[in-house]
Parts: sequence; C-alpha cells; structure tokens
Amino acid sequence: MRQFLKSVITLASIFLASISFADDKIVNVYTWSGVIPDSAIRQFEKETGIKVNFSTYDSNEVMYAKLKADKNVEYDVVEPSSYYIDRMRRQGMLQKLDKAKVPYFVNLNPDFLNKSYDPDSSYSIPFIWGITGIFVNNKSHVPASITTWSDVWNKQYANQLLMLDDSREVFSMALRSLGYSANDQNPEHIKQAYLKIKTLLPNIKMFNSSPISLLIDEDATVGMSWNGDFFKAKKENTHLDFIFPKDGFVIWVDNFAIPKGAPHLDNAYKFLNFMLRADVAKAVVLDNAYPTTNLAAQKLLPAEVRNDPIEYPSREIMSHGEFQTDISDDALALYEKYWEKLKMGG
Amino acid sequence: MKHYDNGLKHFSLSIIWLWLTVFAMLPFCLVTLASFASHDDAHLLTLPATLINYIHLNNSVYVKIFKQSFYIAGICTLICLLLGYPFAYLIARMQSRFKGLLILLIIIPFWTSSLIRTYSMITMLKPQGVINSMLLWLGVISKPLTLLFTDTSVMIGLVYNLLPFMVLPLLTNIERLDNRLIDAARDLGANRLTTFRKIILPLTMPGILSGSILVFLPAMTIFYIPDLLGGSKSILLGNLIQNQFLIAQNWPLGSAISVVFTLLLAVLLIIYWRSSGNKDSQELL
Amino acid sequence: MRNLPYTSYLTAIYLFFYIPIIVLIVYSFNNAQYSLLWHGFSLRWYHELFADSDLWLAVLHSVILGVTAATVATCVGGLTAISLYRYDFFGRQLLYGSIFILILSPDIVMGISLLILFSMIGITLGFWSLLLAHITFCIPFVVVTVYSRIVSFDQYIFEAAKDLGAKDSVILTRIILPLLWPALLAGWLLSFTLSIDDVIISYFVAGPDFEILPLKIYSMVRLGVKPEINALCTVTFGLTLLLIVISQLSLRKKP
Repeated sequence: MRQFLKSVITLASIFLASISFADDKIVNVYTWSGVIPDSAIRQFEKETGIKVNFSTYDSNEVMYAKLKADKNVEYDVVEPSSYYIDRMRRQGMLQKLDKAKVPYFVNLNPDFLNKSYDPDSSYSIPFIWGITGIFVNNKSHVPASITTWSDVWNKQYANQLLMLDDSREVFSMALRSLGYSANDQNPEHIKQAYLKIKTLLPNIKMFNSSPISLLIDEDATVGMSWNGDFFKAKKENTHLDFIFPKDGFVIWVDNFAIPKGAPHLDNAYKFLNFMLRADVAKAVVLDNAYPTTNLAAQKLLPAEVRNDPIEYPSREIMSHGEFQTDISDDALALYEKYWEKLKMGG
Repeated sequence: MKHYDNGLKHFSLSIIWLWLTVFAMLPFCLVTLASFASHDDAHLLTLPATLINYIHLNNSVYVKIFKQSFYIAGICTLICLLLGYPFAYLIARMQSRFKGLLILLIIIPFWTSSLIRTYSMITMLKPQGVINSMLLWLGVISKPLTLLFTDTSVMIGLVYNLLPFMVLPLLTNIERLDNRLIDAARDLGANRLTTFRKIILPLTMPGILSGSILVFLPAMTIFYIPDLLGGSKSILLGNLIQNQFLIAQNWPLGSAISVVFTLLLAVLLIIYWRSSGNKDSQELL
Repeated sequence: MRNLPYTSYLTAIYLFFYIPIIVLIVYSFNNAQYSLLWHGFSLRWYHELFADSDLWLAVLHSVILGVTAATVATCVGGLTAISLYRYDFFGRQLLYGSIFILILSPDIVMGISLLILFSMIGITLGFWSLLLAHITFCIPFVVVTVYSRIVSFDQYIFEAAKDLGAKDSVILTRIILPLLWPALLAGWLLSFTLSIDDVIISYFVAGPDFEILPLKIYSMVRLGVKPEINALCTVTFGLTLLLIVISQLSLRKKP
C-alpha cells in the first residue's frame, strides 16, 4: 500500500511537472520500443534537468510515415534502422550532424561507421545492431545438420519453421541462399527468390515478428531469429542453439538521427552524447540485450556477455555478414507483390 | 414535412454537419484523391493523376483476399449473432435488480487491452498451454491438441473480441420489446416458434442489423488477431492496406484498395436494404 | 430451478468473457520474463509495476482521453441519431453515407488521412489531435446503437407532446432522453471500450508529449509480453470492479 501511495504521489508530481516545464528544457525522443530503458531516461533528466518526452514505435515504416506526412511534427531524436537512414538521408529528412557537439562519438566501433547507407556517417549514430540467423531447438533437431539457409528447405522440417513476418528479411534469406546480395534489386533475381520461397511454404509453420516466447515455449523448434532475441530466449530455455548461416546473413544497425526542423536541437545533441557515454550505453545494452556499437561500453560489459559468441561473433563469422541498405520503390513494390502471392498460397 | 421552428434542430444539425464534413467527408475525399495520384522514390503522393492504381486492382490475388476477408467476417458475424441473440434476449427480459450490473459485467473485460487478452488466449491454446495441460491431466486426451495457429483459433479470437458489439445493440433494442404484443400473440394461439418468427424477430431486426454491422465491418479489417492466433499465414484486407501504405510505400494503391472496398460494401448494403424491404432497417445508416 | 438452462447459458457466455481475464491475472504472478508457460509464483512484476511511473501516467492519460472522447461522441452521436430519425433535411443520405464511411474506413487509412488533415489545418499532435480522432471513430458506434432503439419508438408520443404544446427542447429532455438512456449508455460504453484500446489510429495522431496506454502496451509487446503488463491489467481490472461494487452499493442505499 505504501508503495502504491508513493507511486500515486510521483505520478501526480510528474503530471504537474509536465505542464510546468519551460519549452527550452524539453527533448522529444521517438525510438524503437524496448531499446532505451526508463532508468536511462530518468538519469538523463536528473543530470541535465531536461525533460524527455519519450515515445516509441515498433516499425520504421510508422515513424517514417509520420515524419513524412506531417511537416510540423516535433521530434528531436529518432532511431531509424540502417536502410531507413539511407532513405531518409536521400530524401532530405535528416539533419547533418555536428560531431563537435557529440564528443563521445569517439566511443563508437569503427566497424559500424561510414557504411554504404551513410557513407561519411554524417547523418547517423549507430547504437545497437544485430544479425538474422537460424535458431534450432536441440531436443527436436540436430543443430549440426544446419549450416546454411539452404538447409532449412530440407523436407524433415515440414511445418516446423518460424519465419520473421517481414518481407525483406524473408527475401534476404532466399537471395543469400541463391548467392545474391540481400540488397539485390534485379527483378530477375527477386523473382528467383520468390520461386525459391514458394518451395519453402510447406515447411513454414508460422510468421511472427516478436517471436521470443515462441522460441522459449517451443512452439517452433527451428527458424529465423535475431541474435539479440536469441540471447534473451536462451536465458529461459537452454536447449536453443544459434547458427550463423555460411551462405551469408543480414546485419542490421539501428541508428540515432535528428530529423530536419527538430525544435530542440541543442537538447537533442545533449541526449545523443549522453547515450554514447560508455557507462550509459553499457547499462542500456545490459537491459535490452542487443549487441552494442559502442566499443567503450562493450569493454565494460560483464565477461559472459562480452565474450558471448552469439552476441559478439568473431571477425571470421562477421565476414559473412552484409549490411542492410535501402532499395528502390520499384523493388519494394515487387517484394510486396510476391509477398502477397506467397501468403495467399503461392 | 414536419415543421420544427426552433433552434434545437439547427443547433444539432450544424454540429453534426460540421463534424462529419471535417472529420469524415474531407479525409475520405483526401483518400479518394490520393487513389488517383502517382508516387516516386522521394514523394509518397505526386502528379500526374492516373488510373493505374485501379487497373492494378484487377488481380487474382486481391480478389482472393477480398473473398477470404468477406468469408471470415461473415462466419464471425453469424457466430456472434447465434451466441449473442439468446444472451441479449435473456438479459434484456430479466426482471432482476442485478440487471444493470450484469450489463456492465459484459463490457468490463473489454477495457483490458485486446492485445493482452489475445496473448492470454495464446497462453490457453498453446501445445503446452492451460487447456491442453488440463485435458491431459484429466486423461481426456493423450497427446496435446493443435489448437493454436489454426482457423479455429482465429475464429475464437475474433468472436471473443467482437461479441459485445453484437450484444449491446441487441440488448438496447430487445429491451424496448412490448410485452403485450407477445402476450397477444400467445393468446391468439401462436406457439413459441411462431411468436418468435412473426413478432419478436421482425421487431428486433433493427438491433440485429446494427449488431451485424458493428461486427462485420471491423472483422474485415482487424488484422492482429489473425496474425497472432493464426500465425500470419494469410493476408486479410487490413494487412493488405496496411502493407501498401507502410511497407511498399505505395499510398495511391493503398488508397485505391480502400476506396474500392468502401464502395463495394456500400453497393452490397444498398442491394440488401432494397431487397429486404424493411423500412426501418433501410433507414439505418 | 425452472430457469436452469437459461442460467447455465448465461453463465457459459460470462465464463467465455472472463476466462482469458482470469488466465491473465494468474499469469501476472508468473516467474518468467518472456515465456507464456507457468514458471512458478512471483510478485516481482508488481514491484516493477509500482516503480514504473511512466506506465501509470499513460493509464491516466488514456482514462482522461477515453472518458472525454466517449462523452463527446455520445452527445454528438446521440444528436445525430435523433436528428436522422425526427427531422427531414437536405442531405440526409449524405449524412448516412459519411457515417457509413467512418465505420468502414480501415484504421490505417483513417489514421493517415486524419494525420494529413491535422497537418493541413495546423493542429499540433498531442492531446487534442488524439481527442478529435477518437471522438470521430466512436461516433458511428453511438449512432448505430442509439438508432436501433429509437426506431422502435412510438411516433405518436412526439406528436401528442407537440399537440399539448411542448417545445422541442422539452420533448428532447422529458421524452427522448429518458427513453434513450439505455442506448446512450451502451453507446458510451462501446465508445470508451474502443478508445481505451485503439492502437493504429492513435499511432499516427499521437504527439511526443501525450503518451497513452494502448500505444505503450503495443510497443512493449514487440519484445514479448512482460508479466508487468499483466500485472497492470490486473490492477486496473480490480479497480474497475471495486468502483462498480461501490457504485452499486451506494445506489441501493437510496430510497
């Protein structure tokens, strides 16, 4: 009861505070859900006296549509994935970053800078990253029997596979297994990928975009997974194995960026710099369990996380990876057309 | 033509007109306009005007999606009606001081997030979930039943979420039923079935129609229930439009699908009202 | 008991409504972060819940929004249904049409078109944009519910009242409203239910400084349902029940 009263009082004070904050002491942050824990936000507010209006989205597309449709929308910090950085940068939706205002930029791992989706890293600050690979439950299957994407086409997995409910992820898998780039825009190659996925349909049990509980509860015993999600699932079910497909996999990076016309620019920089501070970045990734792009923070992580071969795979393994970049609207339309066909039975 | 020479009529009409023009007609016009637009990599909507989006719609996949959505929504409406009508009837005719409470108790579960309730259903239907564990424990089955990611689980989820939208309009309508008409019919020798068919059913038709509309239309476009409970293995209208707008970034095509969908249903409803010849229900909507 | 089949039917439907809620409540004590299977009893999600003031602020925002939207929608929707029934006026069919369009528009289309509209007329995203949007998608539900009751009225009541010299406003307050009361209540309840649960439309018209519960839940669930949300639903469900019991008791005391 006392705790309840306490929370009522904090609640009331927050509500009042939200009215009385002056306009220059605000920053509007709009990020992927589940990335930044509340504790980090509180710490930033305490240290700087700047109030954070924190809201979240669960797909790049929603964030993009919102910024695109409403020119007056007042976000100061957003967190698009790499291929959306590419798109938004080319469409002039992002503010060029003033690195002098983000001194902790030096903490970042150079492996994630100056990638093709943002050649001079002048619009984006990488924050977390991940790999799409294969999970296997070793009670039901022999993990060693899967080394590449092509192996999941095997008939022994009939009606077993869990697929991510995302057309680009699924097409990337097929494109890599055919030996093409995951960012391939050649209509002929996309068509081949479609035909290949069509033959996979009998193996697919379900599509899902937030599959952690399905892995743990063994609703599916083999399928696609992000390494960060897998790391969380493994803590609750030890029978899970992760495979980095030898025919190549996608690396995604979620990056901070500042939209053009952000109303609280200075506070946005303060927020970004705070997030790049080693101790903060460490606390954040300990909470969300995704691999960090922050080298200084990575060094501070407990050894069992830092040395986890799934979270931070070796350079040899990483060499099979490919960063996700944007594709043209024509290619997207093609993906969507084939995706609809696939879901309606081929 | 009746004459009401005072301010109330003008007051209510102007509010309604203002609201519906700004927030219903105007957005719909925007969507209709968008459906004739083009798009390119930098602009979601741009000139020149084109009919290409409507031409794209003539596609066997879309026809299939439309049919499937109609089919699922139809079955869902039927089940809701069959379950909801007797339920609403019993509650409406009840002479109890707890009646108000019972009505409130219908709606309270639905103030909890539908997403969370859907996850709760997953908990129940899982291979190792509540229902299977219980049946195994009771010895009714020897192997877990496949309940989740089937058409049945999708239907259970839809009916569960939409049933109150059938029950409440029925309830308010049945409550108005005049007991004397039923008594008169019985006095004149009608049996229960005839009374129901000739008196009760026609009088409660407006409620049935309202409920069916409130269930049928959302059932066509709700998509997270089929996605979560059905394993997202097919596309319904809701997904189709959502994907065109968000994933494919093709707003004109998404708008065109939405416009065609609206017009198609409008035509169907008009045909239905014309043929049913029930004046009251014709006026509804 | 004569009514046994009836009672058991009612009980069965109520069970259907409440079993998922009971499961949800039980699993709020589940000692697992992501799994939806039972892993033992724990109170830790309640500790986390009461420490999470942001979540409570979102609850407060949602309740304020839901009550306001449902109330305004009931007034506007009720007036619409009454006017459609009583008055002959220019463009009646158009009015039917626009209500029909409202109820038919897929959420995403309504969300995006309202976003563009707000952007055009310069409404900042936040409480007001959410409120306008929520009222708009609630209105047709009120209209349809109220209309299905109003058509069963006896036309002659109004004529009689008029002949006796009653003004239109008196007819409204003395005759129509008392008769319509249950339908208005039903419309309000449906509206509140829709408002407190809407995700897709709110997604597009919400601004940075007014976070509401369904959006928060929706985005938290991306990583799997934390039992913390179950705990929240349990507490709010319990509070609702408590409020209703109290109001029932206080109503009964009145003569």
